[in-house]
Amino acid sequence: MSGSQYREASAEPNLTPMLDMVFQLVTFFMLVINFKAAQLDMNLKLPVVGSARPVDTKGQQDLLVLNINAFGQLTVYNTPKDVESYIAGEAQSSFLAARQKNPNLQPGDELPTTVVIRADRATPFHLLNRVIKACQEHGFRNFSLKAMNKRAEAES
Amino acid sequence: MSRRRKRRRSENAVELNLAAMLDMAFQLLTFFILTFRPVPVEGQISLRMPPAQPVTPVRNAVQAGSDAANENPVQGLDSLVISVIPNAAGGISSMAIGEGVVATLTGLNDRLKTVLSDQASPFDQVVIQVGPVLRYDALMGVVDVCTRQRLPTGQKLTKLSFVELPDARTQ
Repeated sequence: MSGSQYREASAEPNLTPMLDMVFQLVTFFMLVINFKAAQLDMNLKLPVVGSARPVDTKGQQDLLVLNINAFGQLTVYNTPKDVESYIAGEAQSSFLAARQKNPNLQPGDELPTTVVIRADRATPFHLLNRVIKACQEHGFRNFSLKAMNKRAEAES
Repeated sequence: MSRRRKRRRSENAVELNLAAMLDMAFQLLTFFILTFRPVPVEGQISLRMPPAQPVTPVRNAVQAGSDAANENPVQGLDSLVISVIPNAAGGISSMAIGEGVVATLTGLNDRLKTVLSDQASPFDQVVIQVGPVLRYDALMGVVDVCTRQRLPTGQKLTKLSFVELPDARTQ
């Protein structure tokens, strides 16, 4: 008798609508999260170029992202790296990956990877050129220079 | 009688405890909110950059002046050279296409259009000679002008090379 009285007095909120809403929010954040952004150094101030357009590679291309700050330092996942050794290592992995698809590829041939250069707008050319030359020496030919196409976005 | 039936149904109903699931969902939500960082949309200029080569490639078994029928003195010259001289602040001090000086990026654009629109133009790539202290944003202005151009074949100009000029201050 006392047990049934307790059951009748207890308040049990219906959590289903709240759970629905939370799952919707979780789904939204899961869809918009971009783990690739972790490899971008967001402290860099990119130059503003009117004709720079976002290009969707649809994940088909191999990309090598190089963040270069105003002092010419190369950072990968916010860790400073030595330019020569890092690019040599990446070229080796790119060559091995490309050779799986094309067994006729020889050392010194052009690599299919596109080098994405994200350099600070204040980087002097001689520091930037050091990185570009290192890439060219290791067989990279396709480059993509990152820039903002609106000044407001570049300032943010 | 009907009251007794109703009570029996409510006693048999299975009630899931959603509190645990809600706790987990809130934890996931907190993680995603804390790691969420919207990335601004970045543009890019795609280039094909072979290593810099001599502007006048020497072809095997061909001697200078041996082709008497050649009326085009720039035949064999397929690289258009643009020189960009920086000022002390890293901006553009002066520019030149070949030997012709251009003052502004608009002037450079007009001159490039004139040179590349000529159907007899032999150029298929541009070599940009750059002073060592030129800032990247100034360089990108020049690259932007170059990549807007079209070759006489109708293709966009995407083949660029950079050459570093010696530092004027050390000379």
